[in-house]
Amino acid sequence: MTPGKITPKRERLLANIRVQRFMPGQDASPYFDNFKLNVETGMTVLAALRKIKDEQDSTLTFRAFCRSAICGSCTVRVNGNSVLACSTQLLPILKDFGKGSVTITPMANLPVLRDLVVDIDPIIDKLAKMHPYLIENPERIPEALEQESLMSQDELNRFDHLTDCILCGACYSACSSLKADASYAGPVTIAKAYRFSIDVRDDFRGIRDQAAIDQGLWSCVQCRRCIKVCPKDTRPADTVRRARKLTMEDGIRDTPGSRRAKAYVADIERFGQVNKPMLPVVVFGTKGWDAIESAEAALTKHGIEPTRRVCTLPGQDGAAKIFERVRQIEEEEDKQ
Amino acid sequence: MTQPPDNENGRRRYAFYSGCCFQGADARFFDILQQVFDKVDVSLELIADAVCCGAGVIEERSELASLAINARNMACAERMGLPFFTPCSTCFNVIANCKKRLAEDARLFDQVNAILAEDGIQYSGEVELTHTLYILAHDVGLTKLGERVTHPLHGLRVASFYGCHTRNPADIQEYESSHNPTSLEDILQVLGAECLDYESRNNCCGYHVAWPNPDLSKTMTGVVLEGAQKQEVDLMVTSCPLCFKNLDGVQPKALAAAGKPFQLPVLYLPELVGLACGMSPEDMKLDFHTVPVNVRL
Repeated sequence: MTPGKITPKRERLLANIRVQRFMPGQDASPYFDNFKLNVETGMTVLAALRKIKDEQDSTLTFRAFCRSAICGSCTVRVNGNSVLACSTQLLPILKDFGKGSVTITPMANLPVLRDLVVDIDPIIDKLAKMHPYLIENPERIPEALEQESLMSQDELNRFDHLTDCILCGACYSACSSLKADASYAGPVTIAKAYRFSIDVRDDFRGIRDQAAIDQGLWSCVQCRRCIKVCPKDTRPADTVRRARKLTMEDGIRDTPGSRRAKAYVADIERFGQVNKPMLPVVVFGTKGWDAIESAEAALTKHGIEPTRRVCTLPGQDGAAKIFERVRQIEEEEDKQ
Repeated sequence: MTQPPDNENGRRRYAFYSGCCFQGADARFFDILQQVFDKVDVSLELIADAVCCGAGVIEERSELASLAINARNMACAERMGLPFFTPCSTCFNVIANCKKRLAEDARLFDQVNAILAEDGIQYSGEVELTHTLYILAHDVGLTKLGERVTHPLHGLRVASFYGCHTRNPADIQEYESSHNPTSLEDILQVLGAECLDYESRNNCCGYHVAWPNPDLSKTMTGVVLEGAQKQEVDLMVTSCPLCFKNLDGVQPKALAAAGKPFQLPVLYLPELVGLACGMSPEDMKLDFHTVPVNVRL
């Protein structure tokens, strides 16, 4: 190719755009309308929706504003995948699914107000309970207004990437745990709570820890879907793990989830593996014996001798050395 | 992607990472996998010196420990000069995530290697990771797999279920589209089965929340099963051994909690491949299932 001369391959495909429609109070249930549209290279989902609204059906309702992937208002689902309509191109999706048709539906896990517009109040209500603001830490905030509150690069790195969150709710829409339990906080609100709790200028971490626990911090199933859909690559599911770590360090250890985490680390260090046969008692206390006994009965039925000892992997010595060394490193880092 | 090396018999060899699903009380899965892979000329060489991947749970205490342990696991396969194969989708996810993070962060890569060096181990980052789905659909290939089918599953209506950890996030594997994966359906079609779409196909089965929140987990399991049941399938098939353990083993409790007393047989993918390739239900140890597999195969 001649340097400096860019000739992108322009493509065009006549596609069927299937859009979910719903007007509460008027429609008994959501239904789909089909729009034929010439989808061209570079055309975004939002451009397609605007074109349909301009040329085919002016009643089609969706929410959008900045067209620059920063206002976070145009989240919809395309073939089930939560995306920002303004920063997602249609042609690659049509090619991926190879059907000449895409289905656009509103965000999941939220009530639909009309067509593709949802009510985001449930997110805002949950977020408000997380205290998403800094409460002054007197050790780090200088008294005089003209003095800056300085922070090291390492301190900033703990949450820097989380400030990229634009509250678009894609993670909330994609969340598997929310789908099964509408009261769960959702990835976005836990990530926001963590962003403030880990900030050295803040002094409200314990309250936020408890708020996160109360709103279901341990209900995240780690399906990793929120990481897949986040348009800003903030990796919410990883933040959920860090938020769990924070609550355990701050002393909230009387939960099945924290007992599991403790057991996994201790077992892998000792045996190179989790002692699964005994995990029910470790996590659930004496209630766990029922699970152990029924598992053992099932094994006996098949002629397998049950054991309450972990089957040790050969790498156990190596695992112990790694944990010991990692502990030293982390202690040194904590001192700094 | 590089093709795995063949030895003089034209067999493909893989470094096998067993995870917790393929040993101890679940050792039968390893036995089943070996029988099935033997049919398609695949040999598994156990990674000696392996350690539990920690299933992402140890990251709740120490991310560095998780990275170091899994770099160590990959380094063991690197020493064998073979692709790293784990049939467990969660091990695959955790280890692929480790590989990606170390590839993106030179400081972390050096820190982890310094920890491993104290035990005389070095991790290069060049190892290839693979899963049952990709060995069967890509490496062995559908043509060869089809040639081994002696008892095609014509007329069998199947609900295919990937589970989450070979699909999320999008770059966790590079073998196929994570938004529209087809490897599982491609394999099932070669076996002669008919795959039906169903509303809970892309759901999460709830396995990983079973310890912290058992009720939530059972709700999620029930929803997956109900979605498949509505399509009147004969059985569900999953490529993830943990989804299998959950959808089969927890099924009676999950459906009782949901007030839906039906039974839906669930098979782990290698079991169905084995049956289509002429192995018996006894060979595949189907009597171990919680939900009886009493469909005509």
